[in-house]
Amino acid sequence: MENLFLLLDGFQVVFTLQNVLVTLLGAVLGLIVGAMPGVGSLAGVALLLPLTYRFNPTTAIIMLGALYYSNMYGGSFSAILLNIPGDTPAVMTALDGYPMAMKRKRPGQALFTSNISSFVGGLIGMLILTFMGPALADLGLKFGPAEMTALLLVAMTSIGWLVGKNPTKGVVLTLVGILIATMGMDTLTGSPRYNFGSMYLLGGIPFTPFVIGSVGFAQVLKLVSEKNNKVEAHLEEKLTIKGSLLTRHELRRLLPPALRSGFLGTFVGVLPGAGATTGSFLGYALQKSFKSEEELGTGAIEGVAACEAANNAAAAGSFAPLLALGIPGSGTGAVLLGGLMMWGLNPGPLLFSTQPDFCWGLISSLFLANLLTLMIALLIIPFLIKILTVPIKLMIPAITVICIVGAYSTSNSMYGVLVMFVSGVLGFVLDRNGYSTAPMLLSFVLAPLLESNMRKAFIISRGSIGIFFDKPISLVLMLILFAIILTPIVRGVVTKIQGSKG
Amino acid sequence: MKKTMLFIALVAMMVLPLFAQGEAEQAASGEFVPTKTIEWYCTSSPGGGSDIFTRAIIDIIKAEGLANGQDIVIQYKTDGAGEVGRNLVSNTKAGKADYTLLTFNSGDLMPMVKNTPNRIEDFTPLSHMAVDKHLIFASPDSKYQSAEQIIAALKAGESMVLGGSKGDDIACHAALSEELGVDQDTFSYIAHDSTGAAITTFLGGHVDLLISKPAAASEYVTAGKIIPVLALSTSRFPGNLSVAPTLSELGYNDVEVPNWRSVVGGANMSDAARDFWSDVFGKVSQTDAWNNDYINKKKLVPDYMDWKEYKAYADKFQADYLSTL
Amino acid sequence: METKKSFGVRMLIPILTAVFGIVFLFLGLTQYGFWHELRGPLPGFFPTLVGIVLVIISALALFQSFKDPARPVPMENWLPAVGALGIILGTLVFGMLFSIIAFLIIWIRYYEKYSWKTTITTTLILVAIVVGVFMFWLQVPFPKGLILDAFAY
Repeated sequence: MENLFLLLDGFQVVFTLQNVLVTLLGAVLGLIVGAMPGVGSLAGVALLLPLTYRFNPTTAIIMLGALYYSNMYGGSFSAILLNIPGDTPAVMTALDGYPMAMKRKRPGQALFTSNISSFVGGLIGMLILTFMGPALADLGLKFGPAEMTALLLVAMTSIGWLVGKNPTKGVVLTLVGILIATMGMDTLTGSPRYNFGSMYLLGGIPFTPFVIGSVGFAQVLKLVSEKNNKVEAHLEEKLTIKGSLLTRHELRRLLPPALRSGFLGTFVGVLPGAGATTGSFLGYALQKSFKSEEELGTGAIEGVAACEAANNAAAAGSFAPLLALGIPGSGTGAVLLGGLMMWGLNPGPLLFSTQPDFCWGLISSLFLANLLTLMIALLIIPFLIKILTVPIKLMIPAITVICIVGAYSTSNSMYGVLVMFVSGVLGFVLDRNGYSTAPMLLSFVLAPLLESNMRKAFIISRGSIGIFFDKPISLVLMLILFAIILTPIVRGVVTKIQGSKG
Repeated sequence: MKKTMLFIALVAMMVLPLFAQGEAEQAASGEFVPTKTIEWYCTSSPGGGSDIFTRAIIDIIKAEGLANGQDIVIQYKTDGAGEVGRNLVSNTKAGKADYTLLTFNSGDLMPMVKNTPNRIEDFTPLSHMAVDKHLIFASPDSKYQSAEQIIAALKAGESMVLGGSKGDDIACHAALSEELGVDQDTFSYIAHDSTGAAITTFLGGHVDLLISKPAAASEYVTAGKIIPVLALSTSRFPGNLSVAPTLSELGYNDVEVPNWRSVVGGANMSDAARDFWSDVFGKVSQTDAWNNDYINKKKLVPDYMDWKEYKAYADKFQADYLSTL
Repeated sequence: METKKSFGVRMLIPILTAVFGIVFLFLGLTQYGFWHELRGPLPGFFPTLVGIVLVIISALALFQSFKDPARPVPMENWLPAVGALGIILGTLVFGMLFSIIAFLIIWIRYYEKYSWKTTITTTLILVAIVVGVFMFWLQVPFPKGLILDAFAY
């Protein structure tokens, strides 16, 4: 209860004209940065940092918090409308969002679903943050290398749900994704591996250009075959908010995945090293094990809701270790932390007790940013779907340009453009031959986490595998893993025996 | 005859450098004043340690009007773990090189020397600005709460795991285990992507000891979450970190792998530009803004060296590091 | 259905992924180390294991690929890739902004045969996004190309 009062105090801090305006500004800027492929919240926050020196720290963090937060909304816009993820968590949103907009011809509803789920997921994350922030941060600490390894092994099995119609091809690309991710520097020894003598490859394959290419640019090459189809008239009806509303039944379909993902995402956001991208992957994978009214991957509301709620919840959850312990969960968190120091605050385990105004002001500003961003995001739906009235013939050169500019902007170099180009061409060829690239992207994100945690665990245990079974959390997770792997095998054997008897 | 030859040769040897120097000074007296936009390369992403260092200096240069009113633009080049940006600056053409600066730390030099053919000789050292050093921390819940106990346990063959960040932290661990005479499998090391990640693992109780620079750890000391047990420096740290003794107090040689922060230019930077920039950074290091808002806040040791001093220092640092590889 | 049996990209893909796996597994075993008694897995451990599995699964995919129908790609589909390559090469000489504008005009006006009005409006909107958001706000320093660079210093 005490936290509720503190939160209300926080709202008193936030509700000044200046702070509300700044939240609004942060939300709008975040939406724009989020929708632009290539530039994530990291660049947006870092570039605005010097601007905020003029404000007092509370106002400054409110603005940056709003920007960081609304960024998660913006990423899904281009994913749904153009099949180009604006930021990396939106890779999963594109899986159902784009078919929902194009095949089912319901772009307005897809955006609506994404916005509402983002709001719900974020709200859950923030409520948990408000009432159990420090406890949540402590729970995150319990996940050391051994526990993370066990958890990631469980998560990796979820790739199985993503491999699509042809499991063999899905597994091939999953493994290719893992190998691509090992290129560059081995963080544990600090020595290069698989860089093939190239200075560029010392830094590995950059993820964002890789995603823009294998999803976005590959999509452009695919669109060429469709450009002469007369699909452009599909939007005759609903260019208004009213026409984009979901039915009550659809809202009911949206809610369970959004709630589940909200809790899951918050938890993932707290874990060391995992972020919004992992959150949205796992949220989607979790939905695979529940029933969806339409099949996932064909434009199901449940699919959009599951990953969007999870990534926003993860963004909120990552504030728990940041505020309670001074530990940034992501690159953006690290920049926010750097900002705190510049403004004369000392982030760390004492921040809540020494700067309560600041901490609760920030938390309450997240609530405000969540609400304001939702309102803005809903209001601009009609303008956003106008993009789809642009003929495909014009979209092809336009998206090509955006892919190039976005890929360049991730590291300000032509290397990013080259990675985008090559992965785009390969992605198109693979897709054409029935290889879906989503498992490759998922394993690219998860495998390095798994590898480094597993190797750290073995260093701690001095080469003994016992570490994964000694402590309760990892033991339980390993049991779950075995259950997941063994269930289909046992079931297969049982049906076979029964079949032979019958 | 031979004597006369020798005499002439000796005189020539003494006089020639004077001429040469005279000539060099002549060239330098054609003084360099920037008349175009300056590009300052930074090989970490926006918001990282190098970026904050760079921005702090640029803000002061602008506020004090030290660059003839010219604009300074930061170029972030993070490709290839920074090697691409460093390579680019080192190969900048003469002329443009006078307007190209690079933030360069010991944490940049070590991987560069280890993984690429580039050396400090491929750059023009300009100024050494500040130094960061390390401490070892234990947990208030751990069995051993002091350096003596920890060293004794390690020597008795008990294994311990040290968690820390990359680069200079790894070098610290290597130097420390060598000085203590403990092999790296008894006293093992886990490298994390950042000090923040290392602190997370340590607070969760998954590793025994933590290595960190003072700025990142100080708040946790105040909160009583970690205890400083050993200073990897030649003298104790100030403030709440002063309880940690140095190795020499415990009867060993001091171990320190200073993480220095500096600015360099490309190999083709003119001598006039080199002198100009070295001088500008000297002025920056004298300002209150630098000492209060950057050095003190980041808990660094201010240590300005002009290009000559820094060049000698960096050459020796590189030679020492190469000898350990 | 004659194309069904002939060799094509669908067989090339698993062959290439198998080669990819072999390279990683070979380098992993020979250069990066596999297992250390006390430190556990070394840098080569993970890639080596994954490489082995990849080779096996690729072989499986290769056998299955013979059943797949061939899906040749019409040449037209490669045009955006050619365009993108043009921008990349053009950027080196003329700078990125110029190359993008040239690409848009050539594509929209001369390939798709839209009117000048549509061509210029579309180009202007995109240039406004690139310049306004990326260049001014996010301060992305787009390459100016060899020609402008030569004038700059």
